[in-house]
Amino acid sequence: MPRITINGKDLEFTKGQTILQVALDNEIEIPHYCYHPGLSIVANCRICLAEVWAPNPKTNQLEAIPKLLPTCQTPAGEHQVVYTDSPKAIANQKAVMEYLLINHPVDCAVCDQAGECHLQDYSYQYGRSQARFAEEKIKQPKKDVGKHVLLYSDRCIMCTRCVRFTREVTGTGELMVTGRGATEQIDVFPGVPVDNELSANVIDICPVGALLDKDFLFQQRVWLLTKTPSIDGITASGDNISIEHNKGIIYRIKPRVNMDVNKWWITDEVRYGWKHVHSDQRITMPQVKGEEPYQSSEAPLAYEAAYALVNRRLAEAGRMALLVSPMLSCEDAYLLATYVRSIDPDAILAMGPVPRHGQDKTFPGSSAGAGFKLYAEKAPNARGVRRVLSKMSDSVLDFEAFTKALQKESSINAVVLTGNYPSDWATGALLAALDAGESRQNGRFVALIDTLNTKLVDRADVVIPGATWTEKAGVFENANGRLQAFERAITPIDYTKSESQIALDLAAASAASDLGLQHAIYNPAVVRQTIASTLGLPEFIQNVHYPAVLGEVESDMALIEL
Amino acid sequence: MPIPDSDIIDVTPRRVSRSESLFLPAVFKGLGTTLRHVFQNVGRDGKTKKNIWVVQYPEEKRDDRPVTEGGQERETFRGVHRLNRDEDGRVRCVACFMCATACPANCIHIVAEESPWPDREKYPKQFDIDELRCIYCGMCEEACPVDAIELTPFYEITGLSRQEMIFDKSKLLEVYDRTIDEKPM
Repeated sequence: MPRITINGKDLEFTKGQTILQVALDNEIEIPHYCYHPGLSIVANCRICLAEVWAPNPKTNQLEAIPKLLPTCQTPAGEHQVVYTDSPKAIANQKAVMEYLLINHPVDCAVCDQAGECHLQDYSYQYGRSQARFAEEKIKQPKKDVGKHVLLYSDRCIMCTRCVRFTREVTGTGELMVTGRGATEQIDVFPGVPVDNELSANVIDICPVGALLDKDFLFQQRVWLLTKTPSIDGITASGDNISIEHNKGIIYRIKPRVNMDVNKWWITDEVRYGWKHVHSDQRITMPQVKGEEPYQSSEAPLAYEAAYALVNRRLAEAGRMALLVSPMLSCEDAYLLATYVRSIDPDAILAMGPVPRHGQDKTFPGSSAGAGFKLYAEKAPNARGVRRVLSKMSDSVLDFEAFTKALQKESSINAVVLTGNYPSDWATGALLAALDAGESRQNGRFVALIDTLNTKLVDRADVVIPGATWTEKAGVFENANGRLQAFERAITPIDYTKSESQIALDLAAASAASDLGLQHAIYNPAVVRQTIASTLGLPEFIQNVHYPAVLGEVESDMALIEL
Repeated sequence: MPIPDSDIIDVTPRRVSRSESLFLPAVFKGLGTTLRHVFQNVGRDGKTKKNIWVVQYPEEKRDDRPVTEGGQERETFRGVHRLNRDEDGRVRCVACFMCATACPANCIHIVAEESPWPDREKYPKQFDIDELRCIYCGMCEEACPVDAIELTPFYEITGLSRQEMIFDKSKLLEVYDRTIDEKPM
């Protein structure tokens, strides 16, 4: 392999890599704004310029290339020696920083990007502490450029990442550069706002605070947020996300880089798909039909009553059915199904409706970041649930077959339903099917484990509040059969519990049921091992992809040993 | 480098003797100090520093005395907070969360909103300080980039409930109106 020396370090590289890529791969920091691995290279920000010495082909002696070279664009060459910390390179970095800050408002105190701003970081590391610019700064307008995006032209450094994104990744090309020199601005074409399914990614790739999220605007300062690695819980894409929250409230979702799944991007649908978590329509307390609504101080009582009733009615029922929603994790599906099966070994296992909207869509694009796929299937774990349930039952009914079975077989005396959909899923067909069959004394017993208030809540005999995917840990299988683990971001809101915990609690409260798990507290790793050993699904140990540990943040303050 | 013997202090606890293990001598020694202070201050007005300052609070207040006679340092005293107003009487705060970030007691809770004024991006929709949780360290004052939050020399804040002691934006601005004459910005 060819070798190159960067800042005194002898490194290997593959042919075709640029100097900046070699440096980044080897954790050498070279400042850069306009370079983004998923976009084409334009070398217009000029801060990554470095002093390069290359061997003269005739004499094979190292000679300095007279001008500084943009490392993002210059291919690494055999036996080159690169300095980004030579006086010449440092002088350039300082000059670039000073130029960029000439017209920058430096309103970090009120800027949402502060804390994750490259301009701020590089100004601290490579810039100078005081401005020498005595003249008036140019004021540029704020613009509303799209459904989710605000543009503060003042803060823009014209790296054109956003312009390249709309041209190369989405192929929609809404953004452009207008004007020249001091009047140069990013803008949209008149009457054509940034409106595509990936539009909010321009906010992430903006290295400064020029493109801001309308939804997150002024909500929190970024350093107050805790990031938890998670997986898309809205569609079948399995996109890697990080949920950013503070004090039990989610504030935003950002993409996590995973070259095998979503690369650098996520869709707007996933990014803003967490709103139902904090919806006022959430069910927060168990409800038992015919009983007074429980007060918030009576949560343990409410759970006790709900569990007791469910266990009693299921034990009496004889034949029962379980509907597992594709919004649930594999662990939830396994524990709920095991619980129901422990009471009735022949219980019908079925999978909830898998919503689909439109067609799958691929963004062709032209750069490294292109080829993003948008999935029409709006459930994160249809395959995972089926994978688990099909090992427990010979025939896992789909939703249509389930409603038909309810209508035909009047012997099904009890139904356990799980929802967890981000919107109302109670269809008339389901409601009708629940009450269909021969008339019996008490009607069919319906236990509902759901998150949002729907018509089903009125029909159900017992309602137990479930937790959305942000409030629990588990495994989802995406549309390509990739098993990915996600972690719990926030504690379940109010008095809700994760479906797995509900299944464990129900089993613990029941005399008849024993799940074969020693732990009363839900532990996803233990459940995965149990799935692997009891169901013969070794992939739940071997093939689950765990989130890479998010990069540890190093402090620039020296640690003083006391 | 080895540590020289002269720098090493042996801190092994000494064996307690039989008389010491009763702790009675130590108790009387401590009580003696208390009693000495009591008797030395009997009949004194406490205004000269012979032993300790005596202030007959609440009849007399430290505010009334000069600093050299045990009075309060009004300039730098860290009492109840106030939110300053600008020239137009609007709240100065720009809701940058610096005080909330600097606060070691996590007693400042801000909800920001887009400001209704053209000269400013952001302003606090809500600004709550839990005066019971606050440790009056003055870090918020230190962190504020626009001199919007300040501690005043007033320390007599009372309330009948915990809720009452969470000062909101209007109350903090009211503190400003009351204290601006005493402590100008």
